[in-house]
Amino acid sequence: MMIKVNAMGDACPLPVVKAKNAIKELGGAGTVEVKVDNEIAVQNLGKMAQQKGYGFSSEKVADGEYTVTLEVGEAAAATGVEDIPEVCAVPADKKKVVVAVNSNRMGTGNDELGAVLIKGFLFALTQQDELPSAVLFYNGGATLTTEGSASLEDLKNLAAQGVEILTCGTCLNYYGLTDKLAVGEVTNMYSIVEKLVTADLVVKP
Amino acid sequence: MRTKTPSLVITFSATTDAMAMESYCQSHDLPGRLIPIPREIHAGCGLAWKTTSGMEDTFTAALEQAGIRAEAMTTLELWG
Repeated sequence: MMIKVNAMGDACPLPVVKAKNAIKELGGAGTVEVKVDNEIAVQNLGKMAQQKGYGFSSEKVADGEYTVTLEVGEAAAATGVEDIPEVCAVPADKKKVVVAVNSNRMGTGNDELGAVLIKGFLFALTQQDELPSAVLFYNGGATLTTEGSASLEDLKNLAAQGVEILTCGTCLNYYGLTDKLAVGEVTNMYSIVEKLVTADLVVKP
Repeated sequence: MRTKTPSLVITFSATTDAMAMESYCQSHDLPGRLIPIPREIHAGCGLAWKTTSGMEDTFTAALEQAGIRAEAMTTLELWG
């Protein structure tokens, strides 16, 4: 038996609650497929699967769309779902960090060194235990998200982890790079301002 | 899911050596990239060459050929 659950747009802990209810509804062994829209929800469902011994797999279907498959065996089903905690892996007070990249160089002084430093900065970002919610690219920074950028691998890695990679459309147009965007999405000044003013912390390299 | 994988990290005593290593590896099609030195290796500031784990022999030979002196080679788990 398979039950499909739609938890798109649901805040933590709702995806876990809905998955629990579906597992209960199975009444034994079976499969529950949960659609969620963020990486944290995938992690929370993974944690639940690990705790209860369910089979777990996840797939990023599109930007902001993930499918989590939970395989419930007979033995795991027999243990019920009541003991699954409905807690969020990420505390509610987790800081929303936005990184604003306004140049394809880091710092001023030597341009060759500045290019090496910004590349290093974006790599180091991928190595953080807590990733930012978004990275904004504008003015010279917009070139970093386009074809030929030495940072594409890192930015694609961040995007795959659910980090929004947003590049200023006016800037891409100005530099003649509108058709060259290679990672993330195009954004506008309203979205850039909204991301900056609603962030708990803005980091500028 | 996010996973850590082993990488070979080569450190240098000077930033310019690390940048020379990047030029050499790019012109000789050697795999890898410059990264800031991971904190697990060095608390200070600097650049390192990160490449595929297990390629110590290839890179020892490459360093010798390029005339660049490495400080150390370390295998480290890094986020993929």
